[in-house]
Amino acid sequence: MKDPFILFWAVLLFGSIAWYGFLVFYIGIKAGGEIKTLIKDLRLPPGGAKQP
Amino acid sequence: MTLTLIDWIIVAVYVVGCLSAGLWMRRFIRGVDDFTVAGREVHVNLGIASLAATELGLVTVMYTAQLGYEKGFAGAIIGVIMALAFLLVGGTGFVIEPLRNAGVMTIPELFEKRFSKRVRWLAGVFVALGGLLNMGIFLRLGGDFLVHATGMPGSWLESVMTILLALVLLYTVFGGMLSVLVTDYLQFLIVGIGIVVTSVLVLLNIGWANLIHGLQSAWAAHVAAGIPAAHPFNPAHPSNFGWGYLAWQFVFQLAVVTTWQTTITRVLAMKDSSSAKHMYRRVSFYFVGRFLLPGLWGAAAFVYFTQHGGLPAGLDSSSAMPRYLGLVLPAGLLGLVVAAMIAAEMSTVSGYMLTWATVIYNDIITPCLKTPLSSKGQLFLTRSILFAIAAFLLFYGLWYKMPGSAWDYLAVTGNIYLASVFTLLVAGLYWPRANATGAYAALVLGAIGPLTFLVVNAVVAKDHQIAPEVAGASSFTLAFLGMILGSLLTAAPARTPAATPA
Repeated sequence: MKDPFILFWAVLLFGSIAWYGFLVFYIGIKAGGEIKTLIKDLRLPPGGAKQP
Repeated sequence: MTLTLIDWIIVAVYVVGCLSAGLWMRRFIRGVDDFTVAGREVHVNLGIASLAATELGLVTVMYTAQLGYEKGFAGAIIGVIMALAFLLVGGTGFVIEPLRNAGVMTIPELFEKRFSKRVRWLAGVFVALGGLLNMGIFLRLGGDFLVHATGMPGSWLESVMTILLALVLLYTVFGGMLSVLVTDYLQFLIVGIGIVVTSVLVLLNIGWANLIHGLQSAWAAHVAAGIPAAHPFNPAHPSNFGWGYLAWQFVFQLAVVTTWQTTITRVLAMKDSSSAKHMYRRVSFYFVGRFLLPGLWGAAAFVYFTQHGGLPAGLDSSSAMPRYLGLVLPAGLLGLVVAAMIAAEMSTVSGYMLTWATVIYNDIITPCLKTPLSSKGQLFLTRSILFAIAAFLLFYGLWYKMPGSAWDYLAVTGNIYLASVFTLLVAGLYWPRANATGAYAALVLGAIGPLTFLVVNAVVAKDHQIAPEVAGASSFTLAFLGMILGSLLTAAPARTPAATPA
């Protein structure tokens, strides 16, 4: 691990695995809620009142 | 066949679930705005999921793994540059803020407001041409992955990919952007899980220390034998990309994140420009993993085959990774990975087809119509274009043979419009003196470099081929020169302040 390039790629690689794992759960929950809101808004007639 | 019954069940459950969700969304389509930009109702997290799913296709996995196989970890530097570009644009709002505020459906539509109707039409032609050529190799590369990972006969490739395309076409034609968003969400989840699980298993299989040692010793052996090989960790090393290529990539990625229509479609579908900037900042690091994680699989495949008697006959740097995964992933998990890769292919193909169909409808056909179409007519036309694009993908994707690596092909075909449209956007939004003559000059000159690359490299010997960074850099230089000279040598635009979008 003396090579700074190897250290650089190791940090990015393990950081990416952790980030992807986090995003799947975080975005999974948040975006799921946003799909519900989107569908609720789309059920309204065009120009109708929208969710805040 | 490498897949077991449990693998097939996982794949079938995913495909049926995704198709059902996509078709269910068709009931909410009220008009062409819902069909193309989801009624501009998209919030940040759904935008992130959709953008990430669309821009991480099976084709992406294939070419990033190929980079990993040929250039080691250094191949992933393109993802780092892309992430920096997303962060920069998301932090400053460069191009995307005024673009979203303009309320347009596509980029060429902005050019009518800023330059003229004809500039919009010509830009639409370039955008569609570059985009469709770029997308032309998606099916073939995706099929290659499935053939090598599942062990199915190579003769099945065309039939399997045709069925997959038909399924994607079905839900995209009925539900448009709404179906694409919901299926992108499902695909984002399964692709994310698949990529994390696969990366961990690959690391466990090959071993971190063995991977690093294998890459280092293979490079040292190549250098000692006088065989050309890329330094596996240093991207700026002359044997790898080198500084010239990296500098071009920075400009190229800046153009991609501000100009690439499939990415910009998500910006235009966001509820406001602040959400669009937020989405860019949050999604930026995702693009490091987009190159680095499949790059890890490619690098691991290289070390694995090097240590097991060399690459088997019939395999190359592109197909080595799926064969390696087929060998090392256990039953059940291989099904999950194949489902994830099918998900990646579906989300990218659906998103891209819809984007190019919208450009063809909105910027090439609509400006030529004397009488505006009814809402039903608009939807019918857009859906018909989707069918035509699918037919093009089938035929072009099956006979075209790439002159070089997949990444270079994608970068150069994308450049057919990236350089010129990026120039038009930057000049149109930030330079009041820019006019229609400069726009025409930029469009034509910007396309010369990549088109020359495609034609020349298809007919000349490898030693005489044009380097991709030369074709790319020349197109950006020519496009900006065309815009500056064309605008300065002709009259200034008449309505400069009003023409600039709010």
